[in-house]
Amino acid sequence: MSLFVRNSLIALLTATAITGTVAYAVNYLNAARIAELGAIEDQLSIDTLSLDTQFSLLERAPCDSFASSTTLISSLADLGDRLSYAESQLGADNAQVIRLKQQYSLLEIRDYLITKQLAVACGTKPVTVLYFYSNAGDCSDCDRAGYALSYLRNTYPSLRVYSFDYNLNLGALETFIAINKIQDSLPAFVINGKQYYGFTSLEELEKQFPKGALSTSTPK
Amino acid sequence: MSPEMFMYPFLFITLYFESFLLVTFLSKPARESRLPTSRSTDTPRVAIIVPCWNEEATVAGTVESLLALEYPKERFSIILVNDGSADGTRAVFDRFASHSQITALHKENSGKFAAMNLGIEYAKDAELIGFLDADSLVAPDALCEIVAAFEPDTMAMTASMSIHKPRTLLQRMQYAEYLLAIIFRHVFASINSLYVTPGPFSFYRRSVFTALGGFKHAHLAEDMEMAMRMQRAEMRIGNAIRARVYTKGPSTTSKLIKQRVRWTTGFLRNVLFEYRDLVGSRKNAALGMFILPLGIIAIGAGIFVFVLALVQVLQRGFDAISLAQTVPLSYTLSMGEFTWFYLPVTMITLLGAMLVLSTLIWMVAGKHLSKTPGALALNAVVYLLLYGIITPFWLVRSISDVALKTSTTWR
Repeated sequence: MSLFVRNSLIALLTATAITGTVAYAVNYLNAARIAELGAIEDQLSIDTLSLDTQFSLLERAPCDSFASSTTLISSLADLGDRLSYAESQLGADNAQVIRLKQQYSLLEIRDYLITKQLAVACGTKPVTVLYFYSNAGDCSDCDRAGYALSYLRNTYPSLRVYSFDYNLNLGALETFIAINKIQDSLPAFVINGKQYYGFTSLEELEKQFPKGALSTSTPK
Repeated sequence: MSPEMFMYPFLFITLYFESFLLVTFLSKPARESRLPTSRSTDTPRVAIIVPCWNEEATVAGTVESLLALEYPKERFSIILVNDGSADGTRAVFDRFASHSQITALHKENSGKFAAMNLGIEYAKDAELIGFLDADSLVAPDALCEIVAAFEPDTMAMTASMSIHKPRTLLQRMQYAEYLLAIIFRHVFASINSLYVTPGPFSFYRRSVFTALGGFKHAHLAEDMEMAMRMQRAEMRIGNAIRARVYTKGPSTTSKLIKQRVRWTTGFLRNVLFEYRDLVGSRKNAALGMFILPLGIIAIGAGIFVFVLALVQVLQRGFDAISLAQTVPLSYTLSMGEFTWFYLPVTMITLLGAMLVLSTLIWMVAGKHLSKTPGALALNAVVYLLLYGIITPFWLVRSISDVALKTSTTWR
């Protein structure tokens, strides 16, 4: 075997081995990301269930738990950011990503319902935003709308933002969309029960919030 | 399918090339050629030909560096050939005309190859005939290194070129690029796959010209054509990695592109039209089935990857600007919490980082093995930032010139 042929074969094996190792490392990291998301979701699921159970046990609103509910929404937001990043890395059609998004949406709906119950029972007035987006390529303003909401959520930590993929195949979400009468015109917002469609600018979006709702929050 | 998917074949081919380079670098022939040079007592008679065309500004320095070569004066001569210069080159020649080692010739302008051939005619007693471009300088021990590297079966020898005192950004970029070329030449020579014997300080046995004839116009790439002619005749071309020669790199973008278009069109025209039989040849499989095909692929890949990257950068840049304008700038600029979760680790970023790292390592190796002076760090950074942006311009122009049969000019 000539030196050239020998070296070519060794180089081919080396390049293949390096590519395989890199593919394995990337896959390993993505699996770790999914595992981390799963762990966060499990914890949030327990926290949500705990709050829900407290509600049932006391047969009245555990108003002193409102603080923990606020912590929950913050954790939910962080999970949402991570999930969004994982989706961009792994693809929107990744089965694990879809499963995690389904779980995440359920957690959001659950938290939204508890928040509403707490508000009624405890006399609080949280500002909630339901945000419906699509990443199927049919919503050109969704990225900007989502970024604007991230900004508002970071600037006003008491703001409770719930993001939903309008096209996600999940029975509870479909019911949630039907109950709230959300039309297929995205991005769509439900701000304290009032519907708003489309996104032009942050200022326009802010105008949809109840008067004083943002200014009374403590800026970060 | 994501456009990024198209990057994978090119990344794999580059990785394969880098692997091949490493394996061959570590193989016995390359290792042996790097061994310290034993100063041979054999001092063959040498003639060094310096073809000049309007080189009044640099030729004196070139000649002075040749006169300073550490080689028995009576064993080497210098032949200066003025190829019809319109500037003060003749006057510079006159300053050296009385020197015993120097022969100064003047002729009508008819091209570099003709000037080189005239020099060969006057080098009748030389066993080794070398050439040096009139904008280049040699290190004092360069000729000894060249002579010592000649094996009995070596018919030509190349040196290690580097950029002389880089000042502009483009020259700094070329400094780093030339270090890579030093390693490529060293490795390719170890498997006899050199397809160019560069103008700056390449040497030939006299018998090469006897057997193959002199230089040709060869689409203004006479050094490439001669090397390919030698490869076709199964003659061995070596490399003396410690034979240092310094050349003045183009200082402006237009000059650089002009030079590279000449090189690239010369490569394409010679390979595709004159020496197509070498491509795919099994007689010299390393050259025919690896180096030349990769050289052709690299030209297309350079353009393709650039366009793909440009589209991606523009698209993402536009999206990022659009997002940033949605909210106050302070929010966009604020650094959020960063954890391992958000590490941008993908196949492309990881393989790309590995290739950048290997490029830097080769540069360090090229500098170290050739003992090239100068600082590498800044020049390497300039190379990484600029090379990929500028290269596509001369690649596109070269392909266009070859396709449209546009004639290439020297300057």
